[in-house]
Amino acid sequence: MKADLVMANDMFASPVHTRSFIETVRKDYFSTPVQALLTLICASVIVYVIWALVRWAFIDSIWSGTPEDCHAAAGACWAVVKDRYRLIMFGLYPYDEQWRSAIACLAVLATVILSCIPYFWSAKRLPVVWVVGYAVFYYLMKGGIFGLSVVLETQWGGLALTTFVFASTVIIGMPLAIVLALLRRSKLPVISALTALFIDGIRSLPLLSILFTAAIVLPYAMPDFLVGDKLYRVIMGAAVFFAVYQAEVIRSGIQSLPAGQEEASIALGLNYWQTVSRIILPQAFRFALPPTINQVVIAFMETSLIVILGFFEITASGNAAFSAGGWNSFYVEVYTFVALIYFVFTYSLSMYGSYLERSLRLMAR
Amino acid sequence: MNNQAAAIEVRSLAKFYGSHQVLHGVSLEVKAGEKIVICGPSGSGKSTLIRCLNKLEDHQGGTIRVLGTELNDDIENINEVRRDVGMVFQHFNLFPHLTVLENCVLAPMLVRKIDRKTAEEQAMAFLQRVKIPQKAKSYPGELSGGQQQRVAIARALCMKPEIMLFDEPTSALDPEMISEVLDVMIELAQGGMTMICVTHEMGFARKVADRVVFMDQGQIVEDGPPAEFFDNPKHERSKLFLSQILGH
Repeated sequence: MKADLVMANDMFASPVHTRSFIETVRKDYFSTPVQALLTLICASVIVYVIWALVRWAFIDSIWSGTPEDCHAAAGACWAVVKDRYRLIMFGLYPYDEQWRSAIACLAVLATVILSCIPYFWSAKRLPVVWVVGYAVFYYLMKGGIFGLSVVLETQWGGLALTTFVFASTVIIGMPLAIVLALLRRSKLPVISALTALFIDGIRSLPLLSILFTAAIVLPYAMPDFLVGDKLYRVIMGAAVFFAVYQAEVIRSGIQSLPAGQEEASIALGLNYWQTVSRIILPQAFRFALPPTINQVVIAFMETSLIVILGFFEITASGNAAFSAGGWNSFYVEVYTFVALIYFVFTYSLSMYGSYLERSLRLMAR
Repeated sequence: MNNQAAAIEVRSLAKFYGSHQVLHGVSLEVKAGEKIVICGPSGSGKSTLIRCLNKLEDHQGGTIRVLGTELNDDIENINEVRRDVGMVFQHFNLFPHLTVLENCVLAPMLVRKIDRKTAEEQAMAFLQRVKIPQKAKSYPGELSGGQQQRVAIARALCMKPEIMLFDEPTSALDPEMISEVLDVMIELAQGGMTMICVTHEMGFARKVADRVVFMDQGQIVEDGPPAEFFDNPKHERSKLFLSQILGH
């Protein structure tokens, strides 16, 4: 097996090795006059764009100072980020209490990161991580104990709010998705049909309409004691939306399992929950890992939709950051900064996804 | 349990897939310690019959009693029976996300509530018996078919079953791996296990079976000692079948 691989490798690799870099470039990019011309044109465009970007972002840019300094310069005005990063990161959270928001944000991130580590993937450990992480987040943000002043949900904002909404959507949505996927596979026709109706019903609605319903319509339809703050209703709406899509992803994973897996499990005497939790779901998630990561990334991006319901998550606080104090014309820099934050998060998620795929493939060749 | 007690009692079993009847009033009694080989042409219902014995398939008529318990819709009841009835499948059905050792300790720990240490010791003992202890930390995907099937047998044995069901255990194997699996099964038979095997390995049947059951079109056609069945089959269908599989 190994020897075969080495041989196959050599067969493919040897012609490349005998060709020098310059030879490769000449053969692949300059073999005919037309090709050479195209290569030169494309290369100069690429070089020009990169050069312009570098000059804008690093060489001609202003790293600190006033709006006037920025107007005088030709490059990017990173001074706006420096001046307003507290607003971008924390939104309307009271200035003197923003350390609480920062630690709370880290608590949510820690919760997410710990939930990603296989060691914590058990019915005993995950809930502990979640309860502790959320308790830290909630009491730090809200205050009211240990002499912390009370900060209402309407004042929460920035990155802490974005990560909180994202983490809650996934942490509530994922178990819900598992339950929906299992119910849809139920042998009882009434249950599977009702679940299918629910999933397909929610899937046929746009997320915005669900968020609006959760934020604005629901309080009229529910008894007061069940209503809660708008924030939690919106999170529930986002979680249900996430869950119906993820349920179908999980169901597709379950369906890629050979029927013999479930049979072998019940033939050994394992009951339904043992079979589901030990045999079916661990394998279904392996099959469904790429689309699952996809759903999670989408869920992160969609947190920005809560802006329209008056929440000050990171995109909205970015908006606020340049719309005062003479920074109006520097929205590109602020959005670049916000985009960078989104990028760091979603790119890490993708990296984590491919790491998981690799390590799981090693485990079950 | 005394040696003459019936481990399995099947009475006029009827099984339908929709409106298509695949088992027509099958009756079969297996005593504790007996080894039964079930054979027959494909589509004769032999796999369906063996899968009814631990209720992987529901039956629509007749009764099945396994170790004194009647199989009905009571799920607790069935789980109790499944604990004591091991099954080996044609396609092994090892759990690919678990190591060989984890495959073997999972059910004893979850179902028999044995602690991990005891379960692992016991699993290693059975892996030793199927001559594959060195692969305990490997994943099933790293093993050959014959090795996987031996692990599957060890996994079933770890539950300390009273009855073992084999559903064409060698049909998916490359020819050179068949004997390593049959050797394990022969050893198991010699150890006194109650065994019901659906198989076309006639050499195995001759060697270890107390009775050979020949099925065709959802019915038991012939049921007798192997010597009688192979040397002096009574029915035309049995003769035809034997000439087909022993013909070469």
